[in-house]
Amino acid sequence: MAIVKLDKLTKLYSSGHPPAADNVSLTIQDGEFMVLLGPSGCGKTTTLRMIAGLESISGGELSIDGQKVNDKPAKDRDIAMVFQSYALYPHMSVKDNLAFGLRRRKVPREEIERRVGEACRVLGLVPYLARKPHALSGGQRQRVALGRAIVREPKVFLFDEPLSNLDAALRVSTRTEIAALHRRLGATMIYVTHDQVEAMTLGTRICIMSGGRVMQVGPPLEVYQRPVNTFVAGFLGNPPMNLIPARVESGGAAPVVQIGDTVLAIPTGRVGTLAAGSVVTFGIRPESLSLDPRPGAAPGARLSGTAEQIEALGAETILTVRIDGQADRIADRVIARIAGDAGGIALGQPCTLSLDLNEAHLFDGAGMAVRP
Amino acid sequence: MKSTTADSGLRRPWGAIVAFLLPALVFYVTLTAYPALRTAWNSFHTVLPRRELFVGIDNYVALAGDAIFWRAVQNTFVWSAASPVLEVGIALLLALALYAKVPGARFFRIAWFTPVLMSYIVVGILWMWIYNYEWGPINIVLRAVGLGVLARPWLGDPATALASLIFVTSWMWVGFNMVVLLAALHSLPSEVLEAAELDNCGWRHKLVFVILPLIRGTLLNLVILAFVGKMKIFDLVWITTKGNPLWSTETVSTYVYKRAFEWSTFDLGYASTIAVVWFVIVLAAVLGLTRLFRVRDKLEY
Amino acid sequence: MLKRSLIVFVLCGYTLFAAGPFVWAALLSFRTTSEIQLDHYALPSPFHWEKYPDAWFNSNYGTYFLNSLEVVLAAVFILTFVGAMAAHCLARYKFRWNRAIYFVLFSTIIFPPQITIISLFQVLVNYGLYNSKVGLVLVYVAIQLPLTIYILEGFFARIPADLFEAARMDGFSDWMIFWKIAFPIALPAVSTTIILNFILLWNEFLFAVVLITDEASRTLPLGIQRFIGDTQEDIGMIATGLMIAMIPVIVVYGFFSEKLIQGMTAGAVK
Repeated sequence: MAIVKLDKLTKLYSSGHPPAADNVSLTIQDGEFMVLLGPSGCGKTTTLRMIAGLESISGGELSIDGQKVNDKPAKDRDIAMVFQSYALYPHMSVKDNLAFGLRRRKVPREEIERRVGEACRVLGLVPYLARKPHALSGGQRQRVALGRAIVREPKVFLFDEPLSNLDAALRVSTRTEIAALHRRLGATMIYVTHDQVEAMTLGTRICIMSGGRVMQVGPPLEVYQRPVNTFVAGFLGNPPMNLIPARVESGGAAPVVQIGDTVLAIPTGRVGTLAAGSVVTFGIRPESLSLDPRPGAAPGARLSGTAEQIEALGAETILTVRIDGQADRIADRVIARIAGDAGGIALGQPCTLSLDLNEAHLFDGAGMAVRP
Repeated sequence: MKSTTADSGLRRPWGAIVAFLLPALVFYVTLTAYPALRTAWNSFHTVLPRRELFVGIDNYVALAGDAIFWRAVQNTFVWSAASPVLEVGIALLLALALYAKVPGARFFRIAWFTPVLMSYIVVGILWMWIYNYEWGPINIVLRAVGLGVLARPWLGDPATALASLIFVTSWMWVGFNMVVLLAALHSLPSEVLEAAELDNCGWRHKLVFVILPLIRGTLLNLVILAFVGKMKIFDLVWITTKGNPLWSTETVSTYVYKRAFEWSTFDLGYASTIAVVWFVIVLAAVLGLTRLFRVRDKLEY
Repeated sequence: MLKRSLIVFVLCGYTLFAAGPFVWAALLSFRTTSEIQLDHYALPSPFHWEKYPDAWFNSNYGTYFLNSLEVVLAAVFILTFVGAMAAHCLARYKFRWNRAIYFVLFSTIIFPPQITIISLFQVLVNYGLYNSKVGLVLVYVAIQLPLTIYILEGFFARIPADLFEAARMDGFSDWMIFWKIAFPIALPAVSTTIILNFILLWNEFLFAVVLITDEASRTLPLGIQRFIGDTQEDIGMIATGLMIAMIPVIVVYGFFSEKLIQGMTAGAVK
């Protein structure tokens, strides 16, 4: 059992500067895999280090299993951490690296042998037990770092961007390994990354952070499908959601918005009520755009413009279109993700995109999603 | 109401910090800082074995008119000025000549480095023999090639004693400087030298505009090292000439020692005054040298 | 081709110039003074090996040698731990006076020794440590501490902080982290300072000549100085004494030449 509860956790490095973590509240359930996701400098690593006990807590409360641990030293929190740089002791063999922390904790010898042996079998490290870290490959070092956390059998595992030093292929396989590890151990894990693919594939839930604050917490698909603000909408997804300034023509349960010359009627129940005349941000994911009018598309849900960039990736095509009748601004281009090829559209040619308005998002002047 | 305090990292483990630093600081304070301050205090006193008399700046006034002191300052400065030029200059020439890969480089490196590892005492005695009037190799060679008139007791002749000692320190240190410079040259990025090659720049241009600017940091360090080392020089003089003949090899270090422990005045105050004045001069000279090179730095870019 | 032979000539010429005096001293050390006076440049024949035990036992070189060994080893031992602890502290912990302390310690390297030596004489006399090997050991630690901390701090600072944090999460105290993690990892640099301090202190003369006058406490450089003062003309025996002083240096250099060169040049290469 390990429930980690962060209540208004704050980290202030020096007064006068904005806090590195600002009133972070988050409850990580027992056995959950929580991913802290955000761009660099968003406070995710600071938050993780406060949980680990490597960083003092300036404000708020951190509790593990209902017990306040703000002032408990790192070693007494029963937490293991996998560092970005692996932090293997270079002067010790793989075996000693794994056993080092256990010996300190006065775990009986046979127990140490058992745990080290098992971790090595699981991680495929048995042939390398006597080697020093410098004689291992990057992937092997990474597994030793994992093993060092596993043998501790801690209440909570912390990961600080553990895959960022691996090459692309190894990153995918190690990601799978970590997911399998979580299923096998069923332990509470908190994982920091800036890579949204890692976050989407690994997390039970994702916590998206920006500027030291929590933006949104939820299961990966929910966060993807129902972003609470423009930051989350623009951060998740590749290419990111199209965010276009728009004006509300008529409010009500089924508002009508105007983008340039185009008028779009949002289906009933998709968004909340808006006052007529207010300025909003219209959001739509690239995969909700298509080249040809699809059956069932709302009448008039079309944008016409000029094809500005065509990236044919084989299975799909990323098409950038400049919308007609708009000033030359980035926000006035849309990116569409079209299955297959671009269907004969060439650069500089006019084209018409059909929008699936059932997937449309509207954000108010403050950037917050307008929900029914 | 939450309490929010600004801090960085964890609370300082002051206990550990103090425990780790304390032994070093105790050594520093009791055996370096305190003696240095006490020397400054001494310089305003006549310090006799059982009592100390305050004399104000009398010692400083006397020092200003002390001809032997100024002779020692002059000798030391000549030494400190000549050594960097000789040691670093010759070492640079040799290093450039040997820059190309040579067989047995490791062996040569080890051989050239040997003299700096030996004490000035050993080196001094060896060179007293080398400079010996009757059977020293230098005079034997001079007589053999018919230049017998030039043969002389090199360390006993006021005209040649200082130069002879300067030569000894150069003999010791050229190898050291050469090893350092070779390391610096070999660590230069080869692309830069190749780029210079492609720019069709001549060997001399390459040296002046590419190589020297790139190893300037190393050169500065070697110059300061040679300079400061000679400002402190004592052992070699003490074992060979003790400042003789006629104060021609007297250095500030030997003079301080003589005034403190050899002349039977029993006064440590005057010697302390010399030490303080010399400390200020050395510090100013090192800062000046560093500044000089920094200014050049700015001009070049 | 011409250039190549010129280079070889310069190489060998300079090597002869640098090493020649030592070879000459080694040859003299196996010859008696009367043989030497007949020809200063002859090869030893026969080899007078017995001159070494003679110098060791009858000319007091044994005492000087053991004094030097005792003083230098004690000083190096203390230096290694005091220096490593301070360097680790300055490299690892961030605190307000960190850089100020580092700068103050480091700047001592350029001080002329005269600024402390007269008062050190007074201080040691006051504490009854004048003319004692203990006093000399303490002074030696103080004079070599700045260089030791400088070399070690540079190395300790390159150990990634993650390692210490991992150890902290493993439950290790600050002291254990120093002792079990930082110190073993820094062993290459630590051994460099050990060798360097050994050589520099083995050759030290100025502080020894001021702080030691007893025949029984003299270190090798002092002993040699006294010996030539007494017997200026006994070249054979002086040469044997010089060799006794040089042999430990040569042995250490033979085993650790690369480390020693590295240590000596540490500050000079940027």
